Order: sequence, then structure tokens, then C-alpha cells
Amino acid sequence: MTVRSQPSELGPSDVRVRQRRRAILIGAVCAAAIAVLSTVALSLGEVDMSAATALRAALGFGDQGEVYIVQEFRAPRLAAALLAGAGLATAGAVLQRLFRNPLASPDVMGVTGGASFGAVLVLALGASQSFIPLGALGGGMLAAVLLGVLGWRSGLPVTRLVLVGLAVQAGLAAAVNLMVVRFPRELAGSAVQWTTGSLYGRTWPEIQGAAVACLLVLTLLYLQYRTLAVLDLGDESAGTLGVRVSYSRLALLVSTIALAALAAALTGPIAFVALAVPHLVRRLVGPPTAVTLAVTGLAGATLLLVCDLIVQHALPIEGLPVGVVTATVGAPWLLILMLRESSPVARRTA
Amino acid sequence: MTSADTTRTAAVPRRIPMLMLGFAALLLCVVLSLALGARSVPLGTVVQALLGDGGSRDAMVVTGMRLPRTLVGLAVGAALGLAGVVVQGITRNPLAAPTTLGINAGAGLAVVIAIYALHLTRPVEYLGFAFVGAACAALFTLTLGRRAGDLDPVRLVLGGTVLQLVLVSWTSAVLLFSERTLDEARFWLAGSIAERDVDVLVPMLPTLLVGAVIGLAIAPALNTLALGDEAAEALGMPVGRIRLAGMVAVVLLAGSAVAVAGPIAFIGLAAPHLVRLVLGNDHRLLVPGCLIAGPVLLLSADILGRLIARPSELEVGIVTAFLGAPLLAVLARRTAR
Repeated sequence: MTVRSQPSELGPSDVRVRQRRRAILIGAVCAAAIAVLSTVALSLGEVDMSAATALRAALGFGDQGEVYIVQEFRAPRLAAALLAGAGLATAGAVLQRLFRNPLASPDVMGVTGGASFGAVLVLALGASQSFIPLGALGGGMLAAVLLGVLGWRSGLPVTRLVLVGLAVQAGLAAAVNLMVVRFPRELAGSAVQWTTGSLYGRTWPEIQGAAVACLLVLTLLYLQYRTLAVLDLGDESAGTLGVRVSYSRLALLVSTIALAALAAALTGPIAFVALAVPHLVRRLVGPPTAVTLAVTGLAGATLLLVCDLIVQHALPIEGLPVGVVTATVGAPWLLILMLRESSPVARRTA
Repeated sequence: MTSADTTRTAAVPRRIPMLMLGFAALLLCVVLSLALGARSVPLGTVVQALLGDGGSRDAMVVTGMRLPRTLVGLAVGAALGLAGVVVQGITRNPLAAPTTLGINAGAGLAVVIAIYALHLTRPVEYLGFAFVGAACAALFTLTLGRRAGDLDPVRLVLGGTVLQLVLVSWTSAVLLFSERTLDEARFWLAGSIAERDVDVLVPMLPTLLVGAVIGLAIAPALNTLALGDEAAEALGMPVGRIRLAGMVAVVLLAGSAVAVAGPIAFIGLAAPHLVRLVLGNDHRLLVPGCLIAGPVLLLSADILGRLIARPSELEVGIVTAFLGAPLLAVLARRTAR
């Protein structure tokens, strides 16, 4: 689980070429999987249709009813899955690298808990449903601010960050719990639904907003991503190389948390995607580069899409939130990883 | 070793006034818990009611509702405090707590499934399920935390956190399927000692007592364990067996507490730290001290919950979480540099 230093990123070599080829291969596999699975997602449902019909309907041709179903129900849900999966996984990868720790994910740092809090608060205040994503975004940022304020004391070492994150998460969870207990039962139901992470009932306006914001943040992240390689050299060396260390780190942190909160605002706090996908990609592709980051995004989108298809079509139970599946799939995997490696936090306190 | 021993022994009598102070605080909490609430009852009436003069409505509130509630609070608080100090002792981790072992989440899932499948409606019917759920989760986390025959603190915390995420998401899944379950379970899931009759407490007394006896019995050994496993082994202590006994005690104590009151966080974490501030690091004082500090914390949180939201009240589990989260943040700042 050690993040290897990667001189390869600073100068070309055989290793780098091989790694890049592999990353591109895996990225292509993911992209192909996304294309196939998306077609499946568009064609399956209460009204099953052939792949060709579904694709035509998505473009607005064919039977009016089919076009309506595909364009208004299936396509937004698909888009939400892809966007949230990619966003969460990318955010996880950058955070893990920034803190040189596999645990520094938005799940653990309270950001997704904050998003739940914000969303449920919007429900509690009785505001329109369309304000929920904004509430979630605000809640996520609030958690990040709390984390920064409480965790900062001449630096932000990882162990402390993880622990303070757990504290922030616990406090915000208590607030959510309080609202759920006080709610009338219908509201309590929607609160529980939202806080488990679900892709049900997404609408285009929400997704368009989130998509624009996500793309913006993603672009910012890619622009900054190269400085991570320099930061990996250590604060002093990075400083000598002319990087404003604290400023770069803060900028990366803010963009990442914004990305995670945006994803969570769209779908609710879907567990384990941000935590597990970067690990998986690191195992398959190797040390992080900008290409790897892109592969991570693709892999996250694929994973969430698969989980959502499982939730919708492969399980005998209707209406299960996708977060339940990602947690059920992700947790054993993470536990196995943990059992195979030595304690990840204690040995490496930044 | 001998010099350390004598200083420790000498320290004990000096700490006795502090223990007395603890008892006084506990007594005060009990009295306030009997007297305060949606309806404030004058102290005289409280005393009269306890002595058996139960005619008035005030007296009925005291003996019928607040007395059982206070007894439950005493037992649950003591169990959580003791479980907390033992968990911290056997893992040598100041951030470990019964909650970290997944105890709350395990109990929550078991109770929610029981309500969903068996249509239970009363806390006394949840007892068995909650206890078994809590115990299973704790044992699972403890198994995960084992490495080379020993408990790795970091693995314990991580494993517990992961387990908790999963159990909570399964719990929500069940809650979403049945509105009836959600409506029934959400109050229990908040963690509360209100409206608990003594019949909820009585079935758990055997496990509580056995847990408490084990916990108190291994207190001196926890001092040796604090020196590190190698040193403890060199001194001839059966480290593995002590740790196993500690785990059994924690499962019994925390499992019973959750079964009776629902998931209440942070008492097990806070009590040992509070006591350590006052009484020092000697487990022979620390462990009994937590028996007092646990109920003091729980009862004061419960009383606070009654006063804040008058005439309604806040579930004690929510109050402890709000108070406990900043505490955890402070502890994290101090321990993890």
C-alpha cells in the first residue's frame, strides 16, 4: 500500500512506456465496458427494448413512449452513475496521493457525511427537493472546513486527519440522526433513502448543473495534478523547485473535496467507491500518473454503473439504494486488502 | 518495578477523596435525574415518593418512570464506562471504544431485522437480538484486529469502521423496505433510556455482572499490559489470556448496555479519559473510577436531553454524540501528532 515514488513521471523510461501502455489498455477496456453497459442500462427496465431501439430512442427517434422512458428516466440515471462514479473515484485517488495514505478518502474524512447532513437539513427545512444538491454541496464543504479547523495544528498529518474525520463524521451523523428521529415518517423515509446513496429519480437539470461543475473541477484538478509529483519529493525539495507547497496542497485539497461533495450531492454518499477504486487501479496499472488518474475515473464510473445495474435488474428486491451494493461489495474487498498488508496508518505518519 | 509499585500503592489513599467526590457527583446525578424533567418535582416529594408515599401524580412520575429510567441509566453507564476502559487497556489504544468494535451497528442491524421480520414493538423484546447482534459484530472486529496472535490497534479501528459502514448501510436498506420498521426502530436507533422499565434491565443483569467481575478482576493485569506485551510476558503474565478475558468482558458489558438502551456512543470513550485526568493511569483506580464516571456522564447527558427540548426531550444517544464528537476531535489532536 506504499505509494512508491515515481521518478518515472519526471523523465521518460522503459517502465514509463510500459505502464502507460497498460494504463491505456485498461482505460480502453473500461471505456468499452461503459459503452456496452450503458446500452444495457438504457434498454432494460419495466419496458424492455432491444439495444438498437434504446439507442435510437436516446437520440429521440422511434416510439414516443419509448423515447420518453429512455430520455427522461434511464438516461439521467445513467449519467448520474457515470458522473458520480468518476467523480468519487478521482477525488479518492487525489486525496490518497495528497496525504500519502490509502485511507484519506472523502468517506473517512467526513465529507460525504457532511453532504448527508446538508441534504437532510434541506429536507428538514421543508425546502424544495431541487435544493438538496446545493445543501449537500454546502454540507460537504462545511465538513471539510471543520476538518481543516479541528485537524490543523502546525500541519495536517494523516493519522490525525483520519481521526478528526471520524469525529466530524460522528457529529454530523448525530445531527442527521436527530432530524430523522424528529421527522414525520415520510420525511424520515426520504432522509434514510438519501443518506444511503441512491441513483433513483435523477432529473436532467440536477445532472446538467453537476456535470458542468464536475467538469470544471476535474479540469482544475488535471491542471494541478503534475505538482503532486513534485510534492511527492518532500516539502523542502518541492520548495527549492519553485513550488509554493502549502498553496498547491490547499488548492488540490479544495478542488478534490469540491469534486467529492459534488458527486455526493448528485447521488448521496455512496460508500467505498472513493476508497476502493484507486486501490484497484493502483494494483492493475501501477504508480499514479495523469493517465492513471483518468483510468481511475473511468473505473469508478464502470463500477458504479455495474452496481446500479445489479441493483435495478439482478436483485429480487425492488428499490434498493445503490450504496448498499457498493458497501457490500467494497467492504470485504477493503478488509482483505487490510488483512494482507501491515497496519497502514501507524507505520506511516506524515 | 518495586519502586513503581510503592509509588502506586502510596498514590491510592491520596486518591480516595477524589473517589468520594465521584460518588458525590453520582449521587447528585441520581437525585437530579429523579427530580428534573418535563415536570419538575420538588425534592421533598421525590424523597417521599421513594419512601413509599406514592399517592400524588408527582410521586407516580418519580417511582413509575424516573426511578426505572435512572436505574437503567446507572447500569448502562457503568457498563459502557467499564467496557471503554477495558477496551482501551487491552488494545493499548486511547481511541478505542466499544463503538469502534461495531457494537452499536451490529445491535442496530439485528434489532431492525427483528422488528421487520417478527413485528416486535417493545424494547424488552429487542434485548436478545440486540445483544447477539452486538456480540457478533464485536467478535468479528476483534478477529479482524488479530495479527500474529495479537490485537493490532490500528487494524481494530479500521476493521471496526469498515464493518460499521456496511452494517449501517444494510440497516438503512431494511428501513427503506418497511415504513413500519422505520417508524418503530428510529427511536430505538437513537439510543435512549426513556420509557425503559426495570423488566428490560433484569434479564441483562447476569451478563452485566459477569462482565463487571471479569473487568474488575483483570484491572491490575492491565497495568502490566500497559508496559508493552514483551515486558508483560517477561514478567510472567499470560498476555493472550488476559486479553481474551478482556474481550469477553467488553462484549458482555457493551452488548448488554446496547441491548438495554440502544446505541449510545462516546460514553465508553470519554469515561476513561475523564477518570485518567483525575485519578492517573493506575488501572486499579481507573477501572473502578470508570464504574462511577460512566453513569455520571450518561445520566448528565440524559438530564440535559430532558431540559434542552422541554416539554419534549432529546434521546440520550443523540446528546452523547453531540458532546462526544468534539471530544474525539480534541483527543485526536492530542494523541496523533
